[in-house]
Amino acid sequence: MTDALLSVRNLEVRYGDLVGVSDVSLEVRKGEVVALLGSNGAGKTTVLNAIIGLVRPTAGQVLWEGASIAGQPAFAVVGRGLALAPEGWRLFVNQTVEQNLRLGATPLGNRKREAELLEKVFAFLPKLKERRRQAAGTLSGGERQMLAVGRALMSAPRLLLLDEPSLGLAPAIVEMMYEKLQVLRDEGLTLLIAEQSVELALDIADRGYVIQTGRSVLEGPADELARSPEVQRAYLGIGGDEAPA
Amino acid sequence: MPAAPRAASRLLLGALVLAAVLVWPLLIEDQFYQRVGALVMLAALSASAWNLVGGYAGQISIGHVLFFGCGAYASLLGFTWFEWAPILGAPFGVAVSLLLALVVGRPTLRLKGHYFSMATIALAELARIIVTNTPILGGAVGVSGPAMPRSVLDLSFISPLPYYYIFGGVLGVLLLFTWWMSRSRMGFYLRAIRGQERAARSLGVPAERYKMYALLASAGFTSLAGSLYAAMLGFVDPDSGLGILLSVKMVIAAALGGAGTLFGPLVGAAILVPLEEITNAMFGGSGTGVTYVVYGAIIVFISRFAPGGLAEILSRLKAWRARHAG
Repeated sequence: MTDALLSVRNLEVRYGDLVGVSDVSLEVRKGEVVALLGSNGAGKTTVLNAIIGLVRPTAGQVLWEGASIAGQPAFAVVGRGLALAPEGWRLFVNQTVEQNLRLGATPLGNRKREAELLEKVFAFLPKLKERRRQAAGTLSGGERQMLAVGRALMSAPRLLLLDEPSLGLAPAIVEMMYEKLQVLRDEGLTLLIAEQSVELALDIADRGYVIQTGRSVLEGPADELARSPEVQRAYLGIGGDEAPA
Repeated sequence: MPAAPRAASRLLLGALVLAAVLVWPLLIEDQFYQRVGALVMLAALSASAWNLVGGYAGQISIGHVLFFGCGAYASLLGFTWFEWAPILGAPFGVAVSLLLALVVGRPTLRLKGHYFSMATIALAELARIIVTNTPILGGAVGVSGPAMPRSVLDLSFISPLPYYYIFGGVLGVLLLFTWWMSRSRMGFYLRAIRGQERAARSLGVPAERYKMYALLASAGFTSLAGSLYAAMLGFVDPDSGLGILLSVKMVIAAALGGAGTLFGPLVGAAILVPLEEITNAMFGGSGTGVTYVVYGAIIVFISRFAPGGLAEILSRLKAWRARHAG
């Protein structure tokens, strides 16, 4: 328990009367890759947003290295070493690739470090270097996802949260994306990946959690989850009486 | 075209425009046009002040008259209560505006898009109603400045020319500030907030703080514009100092020229003010409605065809020419 980098306990997020998630618990240890699985609308994005501080949990705990970060504003959370590559990329489309990346270094507040990281990200994602002066809005879908990841890496995070890195991308691009994530994993970066594509995510992950309509329903080592019929059901949203719309 | 001559020619063009702006009112004798010139400067000043938060930060306030009114009332109340020269009230107007911006901005800047705009309208209207019903603030009648100038400090001149240059000077300072801000880290953050506030926040940009900085700067300059306006007109009442139309004019001038650009509000003001003054002069008192018809048409035109204002049209033209040149 004590070696958990991030631990989320009984998280609840309500938007007025709407319940985003009602009871989610998960834990990420240092160096691990953890998959957060669930069908569309299960609450994966809400969990990540609550961790990073974009929405305020209405109940439950979010602990970073044992200290509570629940309800802190995003800039405080990000300053502690978490970063999010959001769903749908959310790029600054009118700004250049380089400007997008530099914004990612905001928590560092250190120009020299920013320049070093920029070179590192360019080395990791050479396509971005080619396009550095181009407006982000002119990139292809795959390049945009790369940029979203690169931008998150610019704060030199110790935990990278990825929200649906495969969403809306062609299969070949998704494969390339996951190869990049594999490299990050091998370098020792801790990852929490929210995915609908169970197979991909469990392939790279050490452990996984399944949430369904805002509740944790299953957890376990990745290979076990991959074989579990319940995962197939939760993922496909068929069977049971909680079939999401 | 190579980069160096291009930059040089732009510099030259800038110098020519600046010279024209400085010399122009001296060349014409007609006080009507000189007065229009001064009003253009004032409108450009308030629209540029609005632009800090409305354009650069993308928070469309339609209640900026709140700060404008603060400045205007502070100037003239200083005279009414203590016989101060109107301009001595300006710092107090700025101080009250900053305080108001702090108090009002904290809750409203959390609102998104239209909700923010609506809240600002409500607050400005609230201020108008309160002032209208508070006799010590002049009530519905309003407050006046000195009837006869007592010293230069009263800034009470018969010719519009001094106003033209005073407004222009303050505008120059504001433009320098805006230019500096847009190139600083703050400008970088504001553009990010305007583009994708959620993403900016998720990257660790303290969005609320920077929006507040923008609002404070904007409120301060808007208040100053109000004080200068009051010094020139020597009179303010709830309609002329706190009416919603003033807020709308700031928005339209900035939006017409190009919100979030340095010179957009100036271009917008240089088009709108003469248009309004000329239609007023042509149609007289009975024709004031024509101005609003024109405003309405402009709003429709901008929102339908060029949400980025004339600046957008210009850059589209450039892109079109570049495509068809080679």
